[in-house]
Amino acid sequence: MERRIKNHPILDFEEKGYVTIYFEGIPIKAKENETIASALIANGFDIFGFTEKGRPRGFFCAIGKCSSCLVVVDGVPNVRACMTKVRDGMKVERQVGRGKPTWTEPE
Amino acid sequence: MDRARVKAQLLVVGGGPAGLTGAIAAAENGVDVLVVDEGLEPGGQLVKQTHKFFGHQGFYASKRGFEIAKILKDKVKNLGIKVMSQTTLVGFYDDCAVAYDRENNRTIEIDYDYVLLATGASERFLIFKNNMLPGVYGAGAVQTLMNQYGVLPGEDFLIVGAGNIGLIVAYQIMQAGGNVRAIVEISDKVGGYEVHANKVKRMGIPILLRHTIVEAIGKGRVKGAVIARVDENYRIIEETKREIVVDTICLAVGLQPSVELANQLKVELVYIPELGGYIPRRDENMRTSASNVFVAGDLAAIEEATSAMAEGYIAGYAIAQDITGKDLSKEMERYREELNDLRRGPFGEKIRKGLRKMGIDVPSGGYREENQKDFGPVGKLRAVIECYQNIPCNPCEAVCPTNAIDTGGNINGIPHINYEKCVGCAMCVMKCPGLAIFMVQEFDEYSVVGIPYEFEPLPEKGQKVILMDRGGKEVGEGVVHRVMVNKKDKTHVVFVAMERGLERTVRHFRLPTREEEKIVCRCEEVTREDVEKAIDMGFTDFEELRRYLRIGMGPCGGRTCRLLAAGILARKLGKSIEEISPMTLRPPSIPLPFSAILRGDEK
Amino acid sequence: MKSYKICIIGGGIIGSSIAYHLAKFGEKNVAVFEKSYISSGSTGRCGGGIRQQWSARMNVRLAMRSVKLFERFKEDTGFDIEYKQGGYLLMAYSEDEAARFEKNVKMQKEEGLEVEILSPKMVKERYPYINTERLVLATFGPTDGHANPHLANFGYIFAAKKLGVDVYTHTEVEDIDVVNKKIMGINTTAGYFKCDVVINAAGGWSGEIGKMAGVDIPTTSYRHQIFVTEALESFFPFMAISFDGNFYMRQTKHGQFIMGMGDPDEKPGINRDVSFRFEREMAEKMVKIFPFLENTRIIRHWAGCYNMSPDAQPIIGCSKDVEGFCYAVGFSGHGFMLAPAVGEALAQKLIFGRPKEVEIDFLDIDRLKGKSFEVEGNVV
Ligand SMILES: Cc1cc2nc3c(=O)[nH]c(=O)nc-3n(C[C@H](O)[C@H](O)[C@H](O)COP(=O)(O)OP(=O)(O)OC[C@H]3O[C@@H](n4cnc5c(N)ncnc54)[C@H](O)[C@@H]3O)c2cc1C
Ligand SMILES: Cc1cc2nc3c(=O)[nH]c(=O)nc-3n(C[C@H](O)[C@H](O)[C@H](O)COP(=O)(O)OP(=O)(O)OC[C@H]3O[C@@H](n4cnc5c(N)ncnc54)[C@H](O)[C@@H]3O)c2cc1C
Ligand code: SF4
Ligand code: SF4
Ligand code: FES
Repeated sequence: MERRIKNHPILDFEEKGYVTIYFEGIPIKAKENETIASALIANGFDIFGFTEKGRPRGFFCAIGKCSSCLVVVDGVPNVRACMTKVRDGMKVERQVGRGKPTWTEPE
Repeated sequence: MDRARVKAQLLVVGGGPAGLTGAIAAAENGVDVLVVDEGLEPGGQLVKQTHKFFGHQGFYASKRGFEIAKILKDKVKNLGIKVMSQTTLVGFYDDCAVAYDRENNRTIEIDYDYVLLATGASERFLIFKNNMLPGVYGAGAVQTLMNQYGVLPGEDFLIVGAGNIGLIVAYQIMQAGGNVRAIVEISDKVGGYEVHANKVKRMGIPILLRHTIVEAIGKGRVKGAVIARVDENYRIIEETKREIVVDTICLAVGLQPSVELANQLKVELVYIPELGGYIPRRDENMRTSASNVFVAGDLAAIEEATSAMAEGYIAGYAIAQDITGKDLSKEMERYREELNDLRRGPFGEKIRKGLRKMGIDVPSGGYREENQKDFGPVGKLRAVIECYQNIPCNPCEAVCPTNAIDTGGNINGIPHINYEKCVGCAMCVMKCPGLAIFMVQEFDEYSVVGIPYEFEPLPEKGQKVILMDRGGKEVGEGVVHRVMVNKKDKTHVVFVAMERGLERTVRHFRLPTREEEKIVCRCEEVTREDVEKAIDMGFTDFEELRRYLRIGMGPCGGRTCRLLAAGILARKLGKSIEEISPMTLRPPSIPLPFSAILRGDEK
Repeated sequence: MKSYKICIIGGGIIGSSIAYHLAKFGEKNVAVFEKSYISSGSTGRCGGGIRQQWSARMNVRLAMRSVKLFERFKEDTGFDIEYKQGGYLLMAYSEDEAARFEKNVKMQKEEGLEVEILSPKMVKERYPYINTERLVLATFGPTDGHANPHLANFGYIFAAKKLGVDVYTHTEVEDIDVVNKKIMGINTTAGYFKCDVVINAAGGWSGEIGKMAGVDIPTTSYRHQIFVTEALESFFPFMAISFDGNFYMRQTKHGQFIMGMGDPDEKPGINRDVSFRFEREMAEKMVKIFPFLENTRIIRHWAGCYNMSPDAQPIIGCSKDVEGFCYAVGFSGHGFMLAPAVGEALAQKLIFGRPKEVEIDFLDIDRLKGKSFEVEGNVV
């Protein structure tokens, strides 16, 4: 399911470059410069994660205010999908409850 | 490690219309300004507004929000103002202000002399059953997705709230190709401007007053909603509960000022519901209880971009006056006058009341209130204006080349038209941000109505359309008579010919949907209208017509369509079917697979 | 009595292009006579291929000019003719042919044409849906392409009409009035029309028209069959063609595959019936090379005619024996693609005395008198 707006009476959406990100292992096409939330919704994924009580969670405000859109990006949890731009090869996972801790070992 | 530490005479937090104008006013007077904004690009709410704004030319009236944002950003750039995007001001600590730069994942420490807070507002949430279900989104979120990223998050929408935001988002969803099934509004009247409401009503979107949402239906994803009527005390009337099938629920139930930073700066907050709830107390020049902290825009009171800009300028000048010692009182006075005019009308009442609670007086009245009754001289091509509320807006008056329109001396006045002066150019139709002006002309046999149109695809001359009245009811069929394409700002005017008498009723139209089209050739999806159009173009030979339209070129070989098309041609030309070219029916008479031919020599 | 400066016989792509260009360059006192409907002749029956990869240098030039004009067809006439520059893949199945292709490519490149030589392996890599067995070599011209011939025919006719040209359909020219070796007028089923110039653009009937004016036009017509399949998704942008393999095929904008071949046993004459043998031979050949066709179905099969000249090149010019008698005939299998340039050149010759964009003198009828001539090899 693609939900990108094709023709708009007022706006022109540039057909710029695309990158591939992986959502739950599924490769999806994202526009360069868009946010993770926008790419997920555009590709028909509305459930960004589950709360601790198991309730499905989507995004809500799109401007970084409500923290409803937390996802795991390249292993790092609690990333706000609506405020984070996509990057080629990025791996995005649904966040279930609280995220697992991650760190880089000192060399 | 190097700490990123910057200094500015004026730190502006928030790069919306209020913050940017404040930055401009201060920088123009020599103040060294830094703007910090957490959006992907500065512009605030403006960047996702595709509709035209009210107001007057000085404040970019009749320009679309994103265009205004661009103008402001260009000014900021030309003045060399430093702007940090994707950077959130996370706190005012006692040693410095700290911003978090998301892109580079680092903090920046900021020293400043003055602060202008223009952090805007955030959307209110609403309590109902299953309200956390994915598919329940804020109106602003839907706008951001649609208008900034070009993504429409669903197909069928329910909008909760009939204020200006709900009305505008409904209209924008339709422009983006979605359907709005209903707008529910709990109070007994539409809160937004009548002209905005009229735009969506004539598209057939029901605005259900005294209704609210009770429940979002669905597991994992919105599949529908339960709505119901409410009584005088806003209690749900159980028997009126009903389900509607939608896949997205869009909440447009108001905004609340983002006061967190103001609170950290220890400025006095007051609770004034008319202005949006908790807001910083401030004086006429936007100065808060802390002498070096100013506020402007939605943070100061939930209002409009136009007032946000006026406040931004006032704050910017006031700060510049403090820092440089220049006398800028004239400039400030000018924008205060501007604000007074914006707040003078009936829609300013709430704001006036709220400001009075803070000790700020705003005058009211002093504009024309009576409507124009007459519909103009029958037979003349002329504009008719259907703008009956006192709103601060006058692009119609400003654009008319013959000065046929006047608002009676004050921008809040109801526009009247002098039909003698009107030459029928339709400039006002293209400019009016409320899409409230139409063109009308009566002929002996039919009438033509010019309708402002901002949808895709733009119809072509000769195309059949379905006519709708002010309430979105379908009242007949019409034919596109002329299309005035408005490349520049994209409000096109489509002149539709219709039965005489309908010119007083018809205010919108829509193109027939696929389901309504009358198909002649199923294989190639050629419609009756296509056939008629080709004949009108000059194809009168049946064989030419077939080849032009590809009738009968599909796998059926013309069995279903040939006679239908010949019939239309015969009728149009007043000939009999036999008079029209004889037919050639070519083999194979049903589709014949290569594989079958190859297997033909197997015994 | 009605009179015109110029009367054109034939409302196919050639006659229409000439009419349009005459009017465009200022000569509007023109009429087109078509005995049936517009595009009823070979034009409406052809494959729509537009190719610049020829073996004779002048043909390359002519075709390159045509492509320029196809590129602005919509601008010129307001008609969208489904023009697509998806390329032409020429496939050689013998060493001989491969050697000829290599020579041709050298010449074509000298003329400024973009062409590349592809090994079978490269073909397979690019177009995995082609079976390259037995393929020796291929050449690819990316600016070649195809268009919808009906729409192109209508485009020129409608544009010509708009500029003031009169078009008489269902009006057959029955005789040409020649007095003292000079054209006086024509006799048609709609009466007599006085005129100074007659242009023979009658395609398969060009010989007969020649006879009416007393001019020997050395062309012969042969049946040429073609068929179309039901539609598949669009994935085949180019025209594939082979001369020694004897086939051509393309996918239309609407997804259908249109394909044909030449039949060396065809007898001269105008014959529009179709034979099943043709479908059988095509099926055997095409499914091997294009395996995806196997489960595709043929939906319509028809025939048109190739109007052949002795060297497989058109005959264009004006008679030296009968004043005012001109012709653009003998287009065999490439009249559609050449029509824009030919119409333009002949119109310029008539109005300005000579063509401005490309030479057409080498296509004069005199080349065929007596001596030997170069035969264009790149034809199916
Ligand atoms: C659907 C809709 C339609 C509207 N239509 C109209 C109209 O037709 N006419 C009209 O005049 N007005 C209209 N408005 C109202 C208008 O958009 C707002 O009143 C105006 O944008 C307020 O301006 P502002 O600068 O105060 O806030 P905003 O435009 O909200 O800008 C605030 C900025 O501050 C940034 N920010 C917030 N917190 C921080 C932080 N901590 N650190 C860094 N940056 C921060 C945000 O990212 C944002 O960019 C409409 C609003 C909406 C939602
Ligand atoms: C199966 C097939 C495939 C082909 N594929 C291609 C291809 O891929 N690319 C390409 O370029 N070419 C192709 N061709 C060749 C191309 O179709 C012809 O060269 C081209 O259409 C010739 O155009 P024309 O206008 O000369 O002839 P026509 O289109 O035949 O027009 C001549 C017209 O003259 C009319 N006429 C004849 N006598 C009289 C008269 N006495 N009075 C009035 N009107 C008269 C006829 O009715 C006819 O309409 C193909 C041809 C066939 C048959
Ligand atoms: S149609 Fe033209 S002349 Fe008439 S009121 Fe509108 S702008 Fe003025
Ligand atoms: S009619 Fe005039 S005042 Fe009313 S909305 Fe339109 S432009 Fe504004
Ligand atoms: S959707 Fe609200 S923070 Fe991302």
